[in-house]
Amino acid sequence: MNQARVSLLVVAALIAAPSFAHAQKKKKAPKPVPAAPAAPAPAPAAPAGGTEIDADAPPGAAAPAATPEAATEGPAPEGGDIEAICKIDPSACPTVNLADAAKKDMHEQMYAVQQIYALRYHRFEIQPGWNFTFNDQFVSHPGPVLGLNYYITNVLAIGLGGGYYFNNDSKFNAQTRRAARVAVPLTEYQWQGALNFTYVPMYGKFAGFSDFIFHYDAYIVGGVGAISTRPIAVVDPDNRSFKWGSPKVDFNIGIGLRVFLNRWFAIDLEMRDYIFIDKLENTLIVMGKETDQSTWYDQTKLTNAVQAQVGVSIFLPFSWEYRLPK
Amino acid sequence: MRRLLTVFAVLLGAALTSGRATAQEIQLTGPLAGAPAVRQMRLHRGGRFEIAPTISFTLLDEYQRTILVGGRLNYNITDWLAIGGWVAFGAVHTTTGLSDHIEEVTNGPGGRRATEPNNYPTAISVNNLLTRASIGSPFKNQLGTINSVISPQITLVPFRGKLAIFQKIFVDTDAYIFGGPAFVGLTERSDCPNDVADCSGVFTTSTRTAIAPTFGLGLSFYMGKFMSLGLDWRALPFAWNTGGFDTHGGAPDGRFPDNKINKDDREFKFNMLLSVSLGFYLPAGLKSSE
Repeated sequence: MNQARVSLLVVAALIAAPSFAHAQKKKKAPKPVPAAPAAPAPAPAAPAGGTEIDADAPPGAAAPAATPEAATEGPAPEGGDIEAICKIDPSACPTVNLADAAKKDMHEQMYAVQQIYALRYHRFEIQPGWNFTFNDQFVSHPGPVLGLNYYITNVLAIGLGGGYYFNNDSKFNAQTRRAARVAVPLTEYQWQGALNFTYVPMYGKFAGFSDFIFHYDAYIVGGVGAISTRPIAVVDPDNRSFKWGSPKVDFNIGIGLRVFLNRWFAIDLEMRDYIFIDKLENTLIVMGKETDQSTWYDQTKLTNAVQAQVGVSIFLPFSWEYRLPK
Repeated sequence: MRRLLTVFAVLLGAALTSGRATAQEIQLTGPLAGAPAVRQMRLHRGGRFEIAPTISFTLLDEYQRTILVGGRLNYNITDWLAIGGWVAFGAVHTTTGLSDHIEEVTNGPGGRRATEPNNYPTAISVNNLLTRASIGSPFKNQLGTINSVISPQITLVPFRGKLAIFQKIFVDTDAYIFGGPAFVGLTERSDCPNDVADCSGVFTTSTRTAIAPTFGLGLSFYMGKFMSLGLDWRALPFAWNTGGFDTHGGAPDGRFPDNKINKDDREFKFNMLLSVSLGFYLPAGLKSSE
């Protein structure tokens, strides 16, 4: 019964909540502007039949002189709204000198990318992918990865990520051991998880074959988490069998490229460096203590596991409303 | 647990069903119907030559890293198709930590050849006997080395766009793919004469040319009307003996050493390079589309 109540409450809360994200903060309604004092000097009234304004003419010559009779008598103006306003209420007639106004700087703001195609603000991102080893020629560590991010702003997200690893011992390790009788300590990975922050400083758009346009962004990601690793026994595999120990603290930093196929689906390419201190297998065998686990480990080493990730991004909710035209 | 699953299912369902028509669907009718996707696009490539000095770095090296210096020359037939080539020479070769370790353990002052019996065939340790055919002194002299790469190639530029950085810097950008054959000049440990002798003590090297496919992809960032900064990744897969080891040829099935160096000892490697380039375009004048 309790479960049913909880579920009902959750459903009720979801129904009450808005069903789409807002891309920009809602503007408050403008406050009423206090009435301006009446202009002390009435502008000259427009002549009957409308007025032609020469924007290039010097001040004072913009409009022909009008007689008081013309301002108060004669047929209704046909020149447009401005003339109509001047006819009805001379005090409200615009007194802007167009020639001077044209010389002013416009402070026009142009956007390189007008109205960002896919906004991230207050959206969830589900980021499944596959991981490839980029700098470990001894053991490759491919595997699935999954990221869950929430965009606090349009360019900043906080999220959780993690992955599982398969491990492939390269053939050249065995060849080196056989040819050079040198054993290189090897490490295999089990999983990693991290709290990540994502920052999106770059975005743009591409024209594909000059025919269609798609948008992309580039991001920086970094975080802190844990990784589970253990040595692969290569020096004394008859006696040594390493277990997954306590996870190690790791830091990660990377860059990524996200190509949007539509407003909620994108393809991701990412390069990330997982940095941690690893414990390696002892390359020496302590005679008489072969089974003593305290002799199996030797040095610790700062490890940079650079991994390339290919995946997709799914943004939720799927759509949003633009609050501003630009 | 069931409660958690229920809540999660409700949350997921609510998120997935909250779809709404998007605000900016592409208008297929009206004045923009039939209009080009981009107007007044700066045509950085079409009808222009590109001369780009490059510096390339090998990736995932086992025994030796190579930095290649070279250049790319392309003629862009259109804005999306170019023909040309890339030529590079191995300018810097540095050994990896693994090679240094092998050298230290084998030939170093405290290494096996200095501290263990090493008189073949009368008195020799197991370590020295088994490494006799594979490791010379110094070890780095027998490593497979990329001396040069000559690659005629076709470049396709399917994607053209622009990039905003911090909303302050805007650069025209294009993404390209390329491919073609590559002629790779290599130095490797020499094959055994006549392929019959026991040449376990011979560590001379010789050169050969490997023919391989090459392909990759890259990005160009245009810094002006006639200059760009490029970054590309290139694959160069072929078989070669990177360590100069005797690894194959012996029985059974050729899977064990046979004290001879020959083509059986070459391993297929998916060699990769990362290149940075600075491109110059001629003529310097830039055209725009309609």
